[in-house]
Amino acid sequence: MPIIVNLDVMMARRKMSLNELSEKVDLTLSNLSILKTGKAKAIRFTTLDAICKALDCQPGDILEYREDVKEEA
Amino acid sequence: MSKSNNFVFQALNVVAWIIFIGLCIETGALLVNFVYSLFKPEVVHNLYQKLDLSQIYNLNKWAYFGLYGFILSISVLKAYLFYVVTELLSKLDLEEPFSISASGHITKISYITLSVGIISYIARQTAMGLTHYGFDTAPLGKFWADSKAFILMAAVLYVIASIFRRGVELQNENDLTV
Repeated sequence: MPIIVNLDVMMARRKMSLNELSEKVDLTLSNLSILKTGKAKAIRFTTLDAICKALDCQPGDILEYREDVKEEA
Repeated sequence: MSKSNNFVFQALNVVAWIIFIGLCIETGALLVNFVYSLFKPEVVHNLYQKLDLSQIYNLNKWAYFGLYGFILSISVLKAYLFYVVTELLSKLDLEEPFSISASGHITKISYITLSVGIISYIARQTAMGLTHYGFDTAPLGKFWADSKAFILMAAVLYVIASIFRRGVELQNENDLTV
């Protein structure tokens, strides 16, 4: 999918660990891991809202569209 | 999932196992019958269903083997059908029913049901054709009486299997929604 999730980049910028983010956004580690590794098929607005609030960023900082990325088999 | 539904599924599982065992016994009995009819035809009267096809055997050996082949293959397929049903019922998770395994089992059940229906239909037509040549195929009618019902059931099951396949995709998508 050409949508890239830059959650790890934002977490590194904010110096926040996955555990810390998991507690702040009230998501399980496995779900955050799915999102971080780009395996997620969809993201809820509520989740996006919580992540943006926790990382103090915009949705565009987390999600990026890149046309040249080929779909995984 | 409610307790009553769980109970219904457990009861269905038990019923499916009983039918499967019954069909296995029937298939075994028919096989024994077939072997005895070849090597010791005089004792066939004492065996399962008293299935004496010696009149057909005496008239035409190939008609006899053909009809017995139909009887045995239908019986084996019915037993296998219920084996797959028991597998499905024991593996079905009512909390998350849309799994690849359940979808595969239902698809398999629909194919086996269709095979039983088609073989029964061909067998019935063959038996009807043989009656014109003086063969007495009347006692065999019970083995392929419900061919159309099986074909209809296969069509319904195929539709359910297709819905299940879509359900698996939706459940997978739901699982990967964060």
